[in-house]
Amino acid sequence: MRNLRRIVQGLFLLLFLFLFIQTESKGVDELGYPVKLFLDFDPLIFLTTVLSAHAVAKAFYLSIVVIALTILLGRVFCGWICPLGTLNNIVSSLRKKRTPAVSRNWHKAKYYILIFLLASSLFTLQLVGIMDPLSLLIRSLSLSIYPAFNGAARAVFDTIYSSNVKGLVDVSEFFYTLFKKSILAFQQPLYYQGALIGALFLGILALNLVEKRFWCRYLCPLGALLGVFSRSSLLKRSVSEGCTSCGACDAVCQGGAAPDKKEEWRDAECFYCLNCDDVCPENAISFGFAGKKTAAVMDLGRRRVVTSMAAGAIAVPLLRTSPLLKPGGPDQKLLRPPGSLDEKEFLKRCVKCGECMKVCITNGLQPTLLEAGLEGIWSPLLVPRIGYCEYRCTLCGQVCPTGAIRRLEQKEKAKVRIGTAMVDRSRCLPHAHATPCIVCEEVCPTPKKAIWLDKVTVKDREGKEVIVEQPRVDLELCIGCGICETKCPVLGQPAIHVTSIGESRSKENQLLMNSGIDKVY
Amino acid sequence: MNRRDFLKAAAIAGAGLSLPHTFNALIGSAEAAGSIDLAVVSGASPARIVAAAIDAMGGIKRFVARGDIVVVKPNMGFDRTPEYAATTNPDVVAAVVKLCFEAGAKKVKIFDRSVNDPRRCYVQSGIAGAAGALGAEVSYIDERKFKDFSIKGEALKTWPLYTELFEADKVINIPIAKHHSRAKLTMSMKNWMGVMGGSRSMIHQKLDESLVDLALVIKPTLTILDAVRIMTANGPQGGSLEDVKRLDTVIVGIDQVAVDSYGATLFGMRGGDLGYVKKAAGRGLGVMDLSKLNVQKIAV
Repeated sequence: MRNLRRIVQGLFLLLFLFLFIQTESKGVDELGYPVKLFLDFDPLIFLTTVLSAHAVAKAFYLSIVVIALTILLGRVFCGWICPLGTLNNIVSSLRKKRTPAVSRNWHKAKYYILIFLLASSLFTLQLVGIMDPLSLLIRSLSLSIYPAFNGAARAVFDTIYSSNVKGLVDVSEFFYTLFKKSILAFQQPLYYQGALIGALFLGILALNLVEKRFWCRYLCPLGALLGVFSRSSLLKRSVSEGCTSCGACDAVCQGGAAPDKKEEWRDAECFYCLNCDDVCPENAISFGFAGKKTAAVMDLGRRRVVTSMAAGAIAVPLLRTSPLLKPGGPDQKLLRPPGSLDEKEFLKRCVKCGECMKVCITNGLQPTLLEAGLEGIWSPLLVPRIGYCEYRCTLCGQVCPTGAIRRLEQKEKAKVRIGTAMVDRSRCLPHAHATPCIVCEEVCPTPKKAIWLDKVTVKDREGKEVIVEQPRVDLELCIGCGICETKCPVLGQPAIHVTSIGESRSKENQLLMNSGIDKVY
Repeated sequence: MNRRDFLKAAAIAGAGLSLPHTFNALIGSAEAAGSIDLAVVSGASPARIVAAAIDAMGGIKRFVARGDIVVVKPNMGFDRTPEYAATTNPDVVAAVVKLCFEAGAKKVKIFDRSVNDPRRCYVQSGIAGAAGALGAEVSYIDERKFKDFSIKGEALKTWPLYTELFEADKVINIPIAKHHSRAKLTMSMKNWMGVMGGSRSMIHQKLDESLVDLALVIKPTLTILDAVRIMTANGPQGGSLEDVKRLDTVIVGIDQVAVDSYGATLFGMRGGDLGYVKKAAGRGLGVMDLSKLNVQKIAV
């Protein structure tokens, strides 16, 4: 049974990684793979999004399958499917075998986390993405582990390449080409906070060395949710008279479900890995649908449950004490991806999974730190100095699991305004330095260019008249894609830059009369 | 052969070698195809006008030899589909690739340092698909392959250029003719920005001089200006079909200055209206004066 489980876990992990790698443009308009599939099956995101936004993307109804599966078979998702669970499993196996399997019995902690998240989402605060295992895993891989892996691989290949050792370079270039076609990113991805997000992730993996599947046992809110459903599962475990209480089962238990306690077995903690059945020397343990279920009572403690709920509720106003939420108060640098909902609605849905940042064709989408308040940490932010929004690309809306970024057709996207570019006349070459430059105008992608050139005669230092073309922005036409800022040859602080003013998703953040939300929606 | 004959022959050969490349090629042209400098061919089928134009220039075998590695350089700079005329027509590129292979080319390489995302540019332009299907090696720019070249020009002293271009046996430039606010028009000479590394957008500060400087070191075997569709305004990105004019024409020549000079006439301009054409002609890099060129117009 153990080998079968490992094969199934391996296959799901491979599927997950395959879809992860495919979350990248191939130059065509669609990705061609359902890259957000694992998130679609996540009932925790489903439930919290329903609570916070009172609406949910249709694909999330797939997550009912996981709930049904749990009611039928228990937490098999944790034991057999979850890619983070599998990674935890792998790291757990690195523990020294002789370390005694101390169980800390902190199982209840994850239920309090779950209650906190449910309570806050009930009051419109969507924090689930911080700890949802799938969100966390995709974010950590996208923003940290995968960039690090790419950086390391490239460093190795580049070093060999520049060594100029004839035969060696041929071999390494062969593998480099092969890797570029398969597992490496098209271009080196780079993200703010990559190190922080990666350290948190590696910390979670390292906890497995403290105790087997620490995260899954004590912290995972999805595990807790499935644990609740698992209480009524039809697959039951029974221990026959033959049990000699040798304790062999307890040592191999993945979830810390106290399998040696017979009647006091914690069904909500069981991952249904069936290790106990495998290992039992007396063959006294069996799983089946017949018979009566005997299991420990789950007692979370009324006071603690109430405290968790209260904490979740209090977090809502507490996290919203920021002036960022005032009309006109949003951080002007907070450029949201095209098709993003109005900020309040956006935050109710965004689960910070990082899919949009992973897929962003120019690497311009970066995780926020505090630009959107603590509530919006790790949500997507376009940083044009790093990468602009490609005019005809619609990938971020395609991969967003919750609809925080709407899926746009190219035609509609061409009209959605992320913000507005403005020229910094004190740094612009033709404006301030009588030096020709038209780069921003050249790259401006709107059919009638939003950046136009004003031919003026200026004087240089010697008093000689020079004709330059000075860029101006047509506020009606600019969509804030930021390519002008990305390509502006004035490095550092650019001579043209985009702020969120005029963004079509907002009613308040406007500059021109009769513009804004009603125009687009 | 006695000593005197040998010295005579050596002197003649030496003189021939010391001639500028383009001039040398013009002599070749005169011998092979009755002194045609430019072939301007119009017709509904891009493949046929390309074939006819190259035929008029003396046939592909004059330019590509068996076993050659040929670089074909289209404009794939922008994420637009072919009907917007922001990128070279894929059928024109495909026709050239096909002819190169027919002439026995060992390899045909295609690349461009694009302005928009390279994946989208290569795919949406239709060029990666069309040329790839014929066996051309369509590759993305590899930043490691830029090397600083000593140009010693007026504006460009040294600049990183793409080494694969210089390692090729033959180079065929296939730009598209379109509007550009600073250069007025972007055609053959400006298409070489696609092999410039570094922060090439800086050259807009001295654009005409820089384009001429590039022509000092980049000497294509053949230039095929795609005017199947031209973009008349809002270039080089474009994006509106209103700015696209269908001419169903290609202009083929060895002298890229002459090609651009003729290209200007498609837009109602003269070669002399383009700063870089004028400068290049002034520096003897090619012929701008169309009256001094033997232009053969063909309709197919």
